[in-house]
Amino acid sequence: MHRRVKDKIMYGMIGLATAFTVGVLLWIIGFVVMNGIGHINWDFITSNYDSQTSYVTMPLLENNTNKLGLELDVVDYEDSTYPVIVSKESGFPSGEIRDKGGRVYKIQKGNLIKRIGKKSTENQSLESILASIDELEGQEVQVKITKKGRGIYPMLMTTILVILVALAVACPIGIFAAIYLTEYAKPGKLVRIIRFATESLAGIPSIIYGLFGMIFFVLYLKMDYSLLAGALTLSIILLPVIVRQTEESLKAIPQSYREGSLGLGASKLQTIRKVVLPNALSGIVVAIILSIGRIVGESAALLLTAGTIAKIPNGLLSSGATLTVKAYAVAEEEGDIGMACAIGTIIIVLILVLNTLSKLVSKKLKKANA
Amino acid sequence: MDMNVNIIQSKKESSHQGIVKGMQVDKKRQVLEYVARKMFLLNACIAVISVAAITFFVFFKGLQPFFSGNAEGTYSLVEFLTGMEWRPNDDLSQALFGIFYMIAGSLLATIGAIIVGVPIGILTAVFIAEIAPKGVKRVIQPAVELLAGIPSVIYGVFGLGIIVPKIMQISPRAQGQSLLAVVIVLAIMILPTVITISESAINAVPRSYIEGSYGLGASKIQTIFKVVIPAAKSGILAGVVLGIGRAIGETMAVMLVAGNPIAGIPTSLWDPIRPLTTNIAMEMGYAFGIHQELLFSTGVVLFIFIIILNLILNRITAKAGEH
Repeated sequence: MHRRVKDKIMYGMIGLATAFTVGVLLWIIGFVVMNGIGHINWDFITSNYDSQTSYVTMPLLENNTNKLGLELDVVDYEDSTYPVIVSKESGFPSGEIRDKGGRVYKIQKGNLIKRIGKKSTENQSLESILASIDELEGQEVQVKITKKGRGIYPMLMTTILVILVALAVACPIGIFAAIYLTEYAKPGKLVRIIRFATESLAGIPSIIYGLFGMIFFVLYLKMDYSLLAGALTLSIILLPVIVRQTEESLKAIPQSYREGSLGLGASKLQTIRKVVLPNALSGIVVAIILSIGRIVGESAALLLTAGTIAKIPNGLLSSGATLTVKAYAVAEEEGDIGMACAIGTIIIVLILVLNTLSKLVSKKLKKANA
Repeated sequence: MDMNVNIIQSKKESSHQGIVKGMQVDKKRQVLEYVARKMFLLNACIAVISVAAITFFVFFKGLQPFFSGNAEGTYSLVEFLTGMEWRPNDDLSQALFGIFYMIAGSLLATIGAIIVGVPIGILTAVFIAEIAPKGVKRVIQPAVELLAGIPSVIYGVFGLGIIVPKIMQISPRAQGQSLLAVVIVLAIMILPTVITISESAINAVPRSYIEGSYGLGASKIQTIFKVVIPAAKSGILAGVVLGIGRAIGETMAVMLVAGNPIAGIPTSLWDPIRPLTTNIAMEMGYAFGIHQELLFSTGVVLFIFIIILNLILNRITAKAGEH
């Protein structure tokens, strides 16, 4: 009897612990998605983070419903209301709208109109705005237009760029290293050192990578806070992931394949190129997918190497914030949990997709080897 | 199938080359082989070079402020390690760079996270490895994987959005950002590490041990706690050490919930703390001169902690390998 009660209690604790683990996971994901989902729409993904206001000159039209040729609606924006562009009417002369510098300005759906001619549109009813548009005279009118921000397009682009550059650097190095370790190396001091180094790399916290990236790439190689500095730092972080995963898939290739190839007179290099690598392909793909996940999730190292500026990078040497870095900055500096959760939701979706992909590929790998 | 085609192709090529071009090709091939071999070796060494470079640069920059030859001026190592205040003033003569309260904060947070997280992690691992029916296992295992894949920033946002406000309700202090918040967030974050490693350690326990225990009349729970877990001890310990490494090195999540005060050893769970990692991340963006160097010194202290942990881990895994 006594033993049974004890067992029951222990079962209960095990159950509680598991429930806690799963519950916390669901809670975190639920919290992030519930708070974030409201922000997420097409605009969120395609617009800039910072809003951008310009004065443009628009021609006045005579034969449209109103002289601007824009269908408008009034919306709330930053404690006031402003007319927002719902759609452009047919025959709208897009090419004739120019900003102060004389460049062609592209008007988009969702842009706010803050001032038409000399009249501010703040807190005006739609009727009075339309009426004042009808009263306009002359050939053209100056309009103050704001492109709404609060979107993640720049961060998405930065993240994708960092992924591409980091993979381009880390993949060849990692795969070649794995080839050396499985195909060439004989057990000895050198291999032990290489393995120790790879393992150590996996254990170093990312803030230390950040420090290294900052002193070496940012300061010493004078890359400044830039995508390149961030991506190069990340490529070192990725090395252990790629080496380990590739090695595993290389080891899974039966020795007889190699012996067969060598026995037929192929050189070692030929065997690697024509036999080993093609067979290890799905393992390498898994390594790449895992690396992408790692890059998407990384933040501390990027904070110190790529910076936090939320703009579309115009080159490898310009600084830029990735999704995670921006999510941090938004939560810490602006205290905007909703926005941080919206970015978090995008990140979680990405991670889920990557997890599923890597599982599918490794399942295929297992089947192929069976 | 694919395989066979590959072999046949390479056979065709090599025999073809061999017959037609003879010795010359062999020579060329040898050179190519040699170059390839060296190139693979070089790439394998990049990991070694990286570790060396990281260690060298971080230590080089981080130790500078303590030597009299430093162009930016010096700071006393003793004051740095024992100081209770971090006030990077513009006026250097008034600036204080003490990190002792940060070391204390980091250690307390890590210990707390281990106390909370490790038992939960091990018990969950036991459930997955020994108790869960296959169907349940298929749900929980991906859940743990997902927990491991969630970026630390998201843990931080969750902590800031849920845990900090909840603590604020019950805390005697006005602020929810506290040692307790850090402990909770870190405990959750180390769960996947502890669970996956403990689970594989438990799975590696020979079946015969378990059968023997059953044969002696022990119940399942007794077997788990008296036989399986002791047998998997070194594996579980390795998981715990990795968890400690993760907890002590964690930056972004902690930065959001720690409060990061400029002074004061935490004396209760409600006190805000400033872990070593967040000290670096918070100020590195605008620091320069000796302030920047001392942030690197903070990194050196953190690095030393990680090196010690890795050495312990090596010991444990080496021991586990002997069995």
